[in-house]
Amino acid sequence: MNKPIDDLQNCREDADRYRLLAEQSTDMISRHTTSQEWTYIDVNPAVERVLGYTPDEIIGTSGYAAFHPDDADNLSKRDESVRYREGMYSNVYRYRHKAGHFIWLETTSRVIRDSSGKPIEIICVSRDVTEREEIQQAMARLARVVEASSDMIMFCNHETHKLTYLNESAYHTLGTEQETPVSYYLSELFTPEIYHSLVRDALQHAFDHGVWYGSIPMELSDDQDHVAEIREIIAHRNRREDDRVDYYSIIGRDITLKLRAEETAKRHQLEIAHMSRLMSVSEMAAGLAHEVNQPLATILNYCHGTAIRLKEGVADPVETVTQSMKLITAQAKRASDIIKRMRAFVAKTEHNQIEFSVNECCKEVSTFLYQEALDHNIRFIFDLDENIPPLLADKIQIEQVLLNLIRNAIEAYSNCDRAQRPVNIETALEDKNLVVRIMDQGCGISEDDLEQLFTPFHTSKSNGLGMGLSISRTIIETHGGQLCANSDGENGTCFTLKLPLRE
Amino acid sequence: MNKLDNIIYIVDDDEDFRNSISWLLESANQTVRCFSSARNFLENYDGNLGCMLLDVRMPDINGLALQQIMAERGINIPIIVISGHGDIQMAVSAMKQGAMDFLEKPFDGDVLIRLVKKALSSVKTDYDRLTEIKRVRDLFENLSKREAEVMGLVVNGKSNRDIAASLKISPKTVEIHRSRVMTKMKAKNVAELIQLSNCLEI
Repeated sequence: MNKPIDDLQNCREDADRYRLLAEQSTDMISRHTTSQEWTYIDVNPAVERVLGYTPDEIIGTSGYAAFHPDDADNLSKRDESVRYREGMYSNVYRYRHKAGHFIWLETTSRVIRDSSGKPIEIICVSRDVTEREEIQQAMARLARVVEASSDMIMFCNHETHKLTYLNESAYHTLGTEQETPVSYYLSELFTPEIYHSLVRDALQHAFDHGVWYGSIPMELSDDQDHVAEIREIIAHRNRREDDRVDYYSIIGRDITLKLRAEETAKRHQLEIAHMSRLMSVSEMAAGLAHEVNQPLATILNYCHGTAIRLKEGVADPVETVTQSMKLITAQAKRASDIIKRMRAFVAKTEHNQIEFSVNECCKEVSTFLYQEALDHNIRFIFDLDENIPPLLADKIQIEQVLLNLIRNAIEAYSNCDRAQRPVNIETALEDKNLVVRIMDQGCGISEDDLEQLFTPFHTSKSNGLGMGLSISRTIIETHGGQLCANSDGENGTCFTLKLPLRE
Repeated sequence: MNKLDNIIYIVDDDEDFRNSISWLLESANQTVRCFSSARNFLENYDGNLGCMLLDVRMPDINGLALQQIMAERGINIPIIVISGHGDIQMAVSAMKQGAMDFLEKPFDGDVLIRLVKKALSSVKTDYDRLTEIKRVRDLFENLSKREAEVMGLVVNGKSNRDIAASLKISPKTVEIHRSRVMTKMKAKNVAELIQLSNCLEI
């Protein structure tokens, strides 16, 4: 019989409990008019901690006015930040604090309607999510950096080795569009041999030590003229559970442009080297023509002599002709050897590393310069260390440097009155370096000129281009070596060429 | 006096070339002697007359230098200079120093043989002339002082009477001297005697 009263009592108790709940809640709970202004009707004490106002201060003010101008119409525009679920909207937006700055609020709101469905008021539960939002913003920025990075960045599942994320650069290099993603497995990016050896080892290393650095070439589909490699793998551990690795970040780089630039540079260098060989040959042309003339003159002599003998009548004409043919053949071969040697020297060759004997090379080059040396009364003196191991290098380029240095040594005597005109050519093994020294006893090079010696277009010769030594040094330096000159300015010059020997 | 041997001296540092030139010249029945350097020639030259094929480009002493040394030492044989490609300047210098001719390698064998024969024949002409001069001089030196005086007047077209007058001797004596001169000089007539005396004046 007291039931209605009990019910009322129960209701009151419930309401008090709810009020208590609302008042104790750390979330801000507020009631607003449904008007455009969303005026505060009621608010729990948490408002002071969240927005800085006491409930008395804020009740009766416009809720809309405190929105950040950019976010005020999120709800009406149904922005990305607004979600709708089971009659409730939740929205994340910036809102003005009493102190003037904006904080991030996450608000869940519901419109309360009467029995006819007419809106009466809006109830909101709001929470300060500034910290969370700032972290997310930082994360988003980070993600944008990863996405926009010119390095290829890929996330790879630890178990399946499936690539779960590729940034734009990775898609570009792999030749697919982000809009039409193809799912990749790590194994598809390498040749099987490399995948099963280098890549597995690298993953294992990252697994053990957290990160791996190195360089593994990637295998890209044939229609892609891209060249790329993997540079870094980071193992990411699961912080919550047992610290297990749950995925890898793989960082790679498209080196197509770099390789192309290197190739271009190499080609230019080859062309310069080739040009300088052509120049050396044109400078030696007179000497070479003389050399070729020699066997030609000899052949003519044999021909004439034989013709005369046959005309005059000899005892054994067949024997006479056979003998002279043999002599003529030898001379023709001599001429063709000279041509061959010249052609090999001026041939346009790719950078070609072979093993060869530097001692042999020194001898070959000096035979090239035999005539020039004769004309200038030069004597070559060899002191070659027979124990030096073969050198792995571009033989033609090294020959060219030696030719250049020996010619310079010969020319060192040209403005110089010397009875003895030696050009010493020495080879030796010093500290795992192969050393070649070319020495003359001419008038030397002054200190000022020594400084300028390797500068392009610096020349002391009236007909020189001044490229020889500059090119020679470039060639030696590309082989990882050094080329330098020493002179006291009076009694000759010594050029020292050092080339590292591979282990 | 040196012997005339018609030898062709070849001085060239290229052995193959020396051999081929020998082959060529020997086929034209010439005698050759080869030297691998200027020094080798100077040390082994036998002093006989002939001609020389000289390469201008050689190590140590080059062709031009050898030419000068030969001039200093009075080795007087015609030189045909052989030059390689681009040695024209040296060949010109050699010609200025008195070389007979020059050939550029490679050359026509016929031209070489013709030049060599020309050189050898010029040597022979010179040699014959020198031999003749020597012979005449020897004959002339056998004349007495008076005979030489008579000869000088005879070749100047003086008559016996004029000679007798200017030498203040009898025409009879002039006649005797004159006949002795003709005998000693091995001249058949006055015309021949004039020729011989021309030899002496050079």
